[in-house]
Amino acid sequence: MFHAGRLKCSNPVIHCTLLISFTLLAGGCASTSQPADQNNSTAAKTGNKDGSSNVDPYESFNRSMFRFNDHLDDYIAKPISDAYLWVTPGFLKSGVTNFFSNLKDINVVLNDHMQGKFGQGIEDTGRFLTNSTVGVLGLFDVASELGLNKHEEDFGQTLAVWGVPQGAYLVLPILGPTTARGVPGGVFDVAANPTSYVGMPVNLVSMLNTRANAEGALKFIDEASIDPYVFTREAFLQNQKHLINDGKVDANVEVQPLEYDIDSEVDEMAATRKAQSAAGEKNSSANNTDRSLDNAVIALNNASQSMEEAVTKLDKLNKKHSRRHFKVKNRGNATAPKAYQ
Amino acid sequence: MLNKMLFSFVLLLCFTFSPLTFADEISARQVVEDFQNELLAIMKEGKALGFKGRYDKLDVAVKKSHDLPKIARSVVGKQWEELSAEQQAKLEQVFSQLSVSAYAHNFKDYSGEIFTFISEEEASRGGQVIHTNLHIPGERDVKFDYWMKKKADDWRINNIIADGVSDFALKRSEYASVLSKEGFDALIAKITEKIDKYAAQ
Repeated sequence: MFHAGRLKCSNPVIHCTLLISFTLLAGGCASTSQPADQNNSTAAKTGNKDGSSNVDPYESFNRSMFRFNDHLDDYIAKPISDAYLWVTPGFLKSGVTNFFSNLKDINVVLNDHMQGKFGQGIEDTGRFLTNSTVGVLGLFDVASELGLNKHEEDFGQTLAVWGVPQGAYLVLPILGPTTARGVPGGVFDVAANPTSYVGMPVNLVSMLNTRANAEGALKFIDEASIDPYVFTREAFLQNQKHLINDGKVDANVEVQPLEYDIDSEVDEMAATRKAQSAAGEKNSSANNTDRSLDNAVIALNNASQSMEEAVTKLDKLNKKHSRRHFKVKNRGNATAPKAYQ
Repeated sequence: MLNKMLFSFVLLLCFTFSPLTFADEISARQVVEDFQNELLAIMKEGKALGFKGRYDKLDVAVKKSHDLPKIARSVVGKQWEELSAEQQAKLEQVFSQLSVSAYAHNFKDYSGEIFTFISEEEASRGGQVIHTNLHIPGERDVKFDYWMKKKADDWRINNIIADGVSDFALKRSEYASVLSKEGFDALIAKITEKIDKYAAQ
């Protein structure tokens, strides 16, 4: 039942990791290693009826941002990325990926040390030096061949190791999924990446490369999910937790409450309801902040709506264009153009 | 003479203990490894089989090793009890189709993949976790953790966690979201749409 892979040339799980860590760029956010918020990671555990979880209090805002990003990807990022994938030979693609990945290893080394993983820090330093010299400025990943495997560390993970709580799940415009903890994490990661200082064209190539590498993961999400928003959120948060724990699984944590116990779930719901109404009485002053947040959400929903209108127009234009193109081609030769089949 | 005696003794031992060996249950690890081997075998002839061929073979392999009815009912959590018997049967049926289709779609051919056993450990509530590794040539390894529970006397796969991402938790969150926002019929429609898409590709 796990859709573990378009195993032919690439594995979606890996891509998922890639997509997610990058997902889109500022990346580095983190979930949690704290037992206290372990309950929050899945809606399954919190058992909220609507499938939302405590970790996602701004779901309405996040959903509109998610839609916005999705449209942006459909109409701008994906076409460019597809073209890039189509025209660029394989060795060049992997060269570009290796080059940017090597520059990111500087940040990995910094975070290794900040998390107290000194052994791994030395290994990753060796990795960076090897690839930068023997690997011709990072174009070839020689270090992996030598057994120095890539590690994934970022400042969001470091903050988690230091005990900073995860905070709310957020979807940022263009940058994608993150958490409250991931925002400062992402800022640090950008600052620690040399790519950030060399100007727009290089940044654009880096972004394009990121998007192109995420193609498999995005396709996988599209194929496997019945609610892409929830799928992305849960996969993102779980993968972050996995990275923070460096892949260690705790068999004593019930990952799946398979023996669902109706009575206890009903009790739990009643308790939450009671707690909520009590909190409601107490925190009427907090309502003001809630209201201003609501306003922000409404504004963003409006923005998202106008974006969708623009998208519909684009759709129409696209159809017109393809029809005309089809006619022209048909006049030239009797076969339908491949691109529009 | 001594040799002969020894031989008959060994033979006797064999006979005495063979019923025990036969009655011995198949371990959780064995269930996982058998399934992985069957999966690899199907991948190797994946192209020749086509989607339908892979589906038919996987249908047997998956149902034998996974506890699909249990996963289907717990994936919707307490809402299971609110469904009519007919709806429950429908959900079980499409869920099982979806699971097999996803395998048939995602494991369509073979390019040197290898599963290796890493370790096994006791999990909470009498379960077991089998840790394995999937090696794909030219790619980073993927960790597959199988969460096993006993169904009657047989170990069955209840969940698979790939690189820390739990298939069950993903589905449970998604299904809860769709059920609460759009209801049961929409959930079935969406799952059916996925099944059709898997089959079409």
